[in-house]
Amino acid sequence: MKKGKLLVAPAMFWLIFFFGIPMLIVIAVSFASRTPYGQVIFNFTLANYERFLEPLYIRIFIDTVFTALCTTLITFCMGYPLAYCIAKLPHKWQQPGLILVMIPFWINFLIRSYAWVVILRSQGLINTLLLKLGWIVQPLPLLYNDYAVMLGMVYALLPFMVLPIYVSIEQLDVRLLEAASDLGAMPFTAFRKITFPLTLPGVAAGSILVFISSLGMFVVPDVMGGAKSALIGNLIQNQFLSARDWPFGSALSIVLAALALILIVLYYKALQKQEGGVDNEENLAH
Amino acid sequence: MTKKRIILALLGIFTVAMLVLGCGGGTSKQTPSSVAKNEKQVLNLFSWADNFSPEVLAEFEKKYNCKINYDVFANNEELLAKIQAGGAQYDLIQPSDYMVSTMVKLNLLEKLDKSKIPNMKNIVKTLQNPSYDPTGDYSVVYTWGMTGIVYNKKYVEDMPTSWADLWNPAYKGRVILLNDNREVFGMALKKNGFSNNSTDKEQLDKAFSDLKTLAPSVLAYDTDTIKQKFIAEEAWIGTMWSGDASFTYKDNKDIGFVIPKEGTLIWADTFAIPKGAKNKELAEKFINFMYEPKISAQNYEYIGYNDPNEKAKEFHSQEFLKDPMLKVAVDDVNQGEWLKDIGDGITLYDRYWTELKTIK
Amino acid sequence: MKKTWRTSALFAYSLAILAFLYLPLLILTLYSFNTSRINAVWTGFTFNWYISLLHNTRVIEALTNSIIIAAISTFISTVLGTMAALALNRYTYKYKAVINGLLYLPILIPEIVMGLSLLVLFSQTSIPLGKTTLILAHITFCLSFVIITVNARLEGMHKDLEQAASDLYATPWQTFRYITFPLALPGIIAGALIAFTLSIDDFVISFFVAGPNSTTLPLYVYAMVKRGISPEINALSTALMFATISLIIIAQVLQPQHTSTKKGKE
Repeated sequence: MKKGKLLVAPAMFWLIFFFGIPMLIVIAVSFASRTPYGQVIFNFTLANYERFLEPLYIRIFIDTVFTALCTTLITFCMGYPLAYCIAKLPHKWQQPGLILVMIPFWINFLIRSYAWVVILRSQGLINTLLLKLGWIVQPLPLLYNDYAVMLGMVYALLPFMVLPIYVSIEQLDVRLLEAASDLGAMPFTAFRKITFPLTLPGVAAGSILVFISSLGMFVVPDVMGGAKSALIGNLIQNQFLSARDWPFGSALSIVLAALALILIVLYYKALQKQEGGVDNEENLAH
Repeated sequence: MTKKRIILALLGIFTVAMLVLGCGGGTSKQTPSSVAKNEKQVLNLFSWADNFSPEVLAEFEKKYNCKINYDVFANNEELLAKIQAGGAQYDLIQPSDYMVSTMVKLNLLEKLDKSKIPNMKNIVKTLQNPSYDPTGDYSVVYTWGMTGIVYNKKYVEDMPTSWADLWNPAYKGRVILLNDNREVFGMALKKNGFSNNSTDKEQLDKAFSDLKTLAPSVLAYDTDTIKQKFIAEEAWIGTMWSGDASFTYKDNKDIGFVIPKEGTLIWADTFAIPKGAKNKELAEKFINFMYEPKISAQNYEYIGYNDPNEKAKEFHSQEFLKDPMLKVAVDDVNQGEWLKDIGDGITLYDRYWTELKTIK
Repeated sequence: MKKTWRTSALFAYSLAILAFLYLPLLILTLYSFNTSRINAVWTGFTFNWYISLLHNTRVIEALTNSIIIAAISTFISTVLGTMAALALNRYTYKYKAVINGLLYLPILIPEIVMGLSLLVLFSQTSIPLGKTTLILAHITFCLSFVIITVNARLEGMHKDLEQAASDLYATPWQTFRYITFPLALPGIIAGALIAFTLSIDDFVISFFVAGPNSTTLPLYVYAMVKRGISPEINALSTALMFATISLIIIAQVLQPQHTSTKKGKE
């Protein structure tokens, strides 16, 4: 027990000092108000939280959560197969495979986004190609809409899904699958009943990382979405910059964090029920 | 297994070494006068990217035997947030017009010692005491320009004359607006004959309902890559700064730029010194240096924006003086209204702006 | 892996996704040869940007800063994060669920809020802004990612091997060194890769906690946006890509054949 405390202590102290204290500042500011010129004055008020309850902001929040859920789903559909492939590569090629997937994300995100603009814009790669082939007569509006935003988000967050899932798949005991096929299970059944449940920790970690990260994104809606949508990331960004309303921005951030935390806890509880079942099956198999 | 441990150990030593070096690098900048190397003073400059001719900077470094640290930011609000939250480690900053008045109200700027900046009088009279800094005690105009309508002559046959031309249904889906609530609402207010600093709810409501009808036509709100959108012909018409119009024109000769008849906003980037700056005198020397006529000409030819230095005219190239885009701003300078800090009004603007962005 | 139509389809699908990942990089590389400074449309072919890149001391400095900061942040956050993940996973204690949840907070809080609040902290405690504060900030936001990733790996590990080891009188350290660590290693490496990726391209938090003369590459690029990102940055990115891919190929060629001892198969 002592060993556990010792191991977790450095990280805990780090987070308490470099994260906890700044968070206390944010919480304090969320109960403050602003002077006409944007300074923060600490007179206790709930006005910022009340303001969040206005329909305009609730709608933005719901839109953001919906976008984040879609992004998570799409990233999962792309990330799981990719992670599976890498995990099934000959051992010598697995790490290079992972790094190959990561390399694009070490290149500056802005220039990659601008490269997407070159590909998707009305005189861009895709439209020029399709026009030349005669498949369309007018360029397709591939940019500056919600689909482009989704594409941008998936593109930005894919590694966060791939890596945790790879980590789970890689440790899968192949003998379980062999046993299943010996017992006459179809490959898809084996996947559904054995592989997928056993890789749930990775899927959970990946989904949560992607979901949370997409909640706060503001660059993608600006570059790929033409800044035409107001997601909560943009809203909070605005509060600290052009609106100079740090108290409202802080309150929004706290609410965002709190609500997302609740969603995560619910998600984990649901998973635990699933895993409980799997563990029992595993014990029986032994 | 042992190989990995050796690698980890090496990494550990490397990390510690870097930390020591890194920490050393981080703290030594705080005491520029004690840098034993060559007793050089350091000028910490915080500005927009590519805002100075590198040759001019090098000349200053040589003349005053100092080193310039040129750090960059991309918008005024980030500058303000950083200075507000963290205090000044910079000696010279470049806030825009309204930001100067905000910073003065928030007591974030030092008063300039005008006796150390005699070249200030070289600046053209109309820009010497702008409404955001009437005494000229806190800022000096560096670059200036106006917002106007930019259009592609290939697709927009009639030259636009009014802001209302943006609403022309023929341009549906090809309109770009700047991604800035003061600029966009200022434009809509001007279209209706109001001041672009208005906080009157009725006037803002009218501006907002106009913008609501424009919103479906907007291809994108963009301040940063608007030039590229016009060069690549993604957009046909929009709002743009005069200096940017000049750049766009260089890469696409079909571009035209006009100041609409209702008037527009005039903006300026300035020099200012944050409170607590460690090298105030050196900063003032820098400002003075920048307005020496020959240096001005060299500098503004490089960055391509309007030159406020009257005395520099004789040193400029004909090409620069005749640049059609820059010339538009100079000709119509009286049509411009400076943006003011509107205090509490900004919350109202932000609310309208958020609502505007949620329109599908 | 048995070659069936299923595996071929899976492989093809993965290749398609890889193509999706690399398509923008292809465009990016192409445009590094563009003659136009504003790089909006293709105007012609030139090598000039690669040459001017070599003379651009500011961008090289920014790149060096980024790599050093990323390396140090990755190392420290991986070490601290792995330790924490082990403790959280292996030991039971009160409020385990709460602490697990709290670990997600650093990721949940928007970057601008973290950046500004860290700046307030640093200025109130008089820590001078520079590479140090950048590293401190980066470690803070990388920690949670590492913990979550390593934890995912630990969750899927069978406790039997560790139990067997302790039944055979292995000390906790020996158990860790010979059983837990090798089995958890892919998770630790994954965590480190995520941390490195996050650090090397971080903009918002870095903007607020950077000091004079500690520009990182993302800061440099982001500020360039107002005047158009010059093809020099494309050239730099292309060079980085090729360097990394070459390193991987060289490492692969030089590596001796591994006999796998994973998963207790042998």
